[in-house]
Amino acid sequence: MTAHVRTSSSLHFVEPRARVIKHPGPLNAQRIQSRSAAFARHFRLSLGPGTTLADAVIVPLLQIGVRSASMTVLGGQFAELHYCLAPPDPTHQAVIAYTRPRNLGAALMIFGNATLATLPDGKAVVHCHAAVGASDGVHGGHIVPHLSIVGTEPISVLVTAWTGFELSVRFDSETNIPLIQPTPEVLP
Amino acid sequence: MSAAPGRPKQARTAAAGEGTPVSLARPPEEARTAAAGEGTPVNAALIVEEGAMGRVAYARVAPNEDLVHAIEKFCLSAGFKNAFVRGALGSLVDACLVDAHGNQRRVHGPAVEIVSLAGEVRLLDDGSLNAALTGVVADTAGSVHGGLFVAGSNTVCMTLEVTLEEWLPASATSS
Repeated sequence: MTAHVRTSSSLHFVEPRARVIKHPGPLNAQRIQSRSAAFARHFRLSLGPGTTLADAVIVPLLQIGVRSASMTVLGGQFAELHYCLAPPDPTHQAVIAYTRPRNLGAALMIFGNATLATLPDGKAVVHCHAAVGASDGVHGGHIVPHLSIVGTEPISVLVTAWTGFELSVRFDSETNIPLIQPTPEVLP
Repeated sequence: MSAAPGRPKQARTAAAGEGTPVSLARPPEEARTAAAGEGTPVNAALIVEEGAMGRVAYARVAPNEDLVHAIEKFCLSAGFKNAFVRGALGSLVDACLVDAHGNQRRVHGPAVEIVSLAGEVRLLDDGSLNAALTGVVADTAGSVHGGLFVAGSNTVCMTLEVTLEEWLPASATSS
């Protein structure tokens, strides 16, 4: 039984071991919320020069009836690119809190991933993380789509539009912040 | 070597003998192929498998779940035996990556933002699922780091959104 007395960390090959963080709310028993579909609709979207990343994604997709999608931004120049970091929340209302947006100015989005979802009030929202190249080096983080402006050249985006379910922003009691979650499809 | 419509064939390489399925395990490192120019060392496994894309799935993974294991479990819940990661974004408490020199590097959070994630999940011969995931993360100062995610050492911080596309290999042993 001696071996059982040893702590798990002493048996772990990677030091320090992976941390488990306490969140403010009760743990949700469902750890993976997933939905699948037999197929998705795929589109090649071109982000229009001079428009915000949010509008360049939301407007054309809503026009064809797409409200939920996962996207790959293939990279391109932005006239203005704003991003946030996610340090610990000093108020402890959540584990992290986004910083105020930082303006990188003209910057290259090297690549990005984005999600189109619906807010509780019915409006569309874009969640985007990306690596960006600016005058002071390469950065990464949470892009602010309604402040970031596409440069003079269109930028290609691969869109995987979901069918059979939707992506919705819902308050998550465990983390105490609103998060995108898959939800049943609401037909118009 | 064109496949019949709707029924992909087992892929082979020039290095493999006729009728010999290509192994994914360890292809010769410096084999030559007929397609490559004379004297050009290339990896023999130019095409290791032929198949088709199947279903698509999206998941939101809750905090404190391991990135790699969660994606393997996601495949189990979706009924995917093999899959490719089509995209992901989210955050980790800390990141643990294997760098180009084979060393494990820890990126301290929270939160470490997942900027990019690529990889695949494969059903192994022993019946287990194995996700091999690489990606780029951003630390709390916005600096970027990349590498192979170490299974069991990358706990989700706030959320992880991941999109998978099912891969349907033609090989009966893989499907």
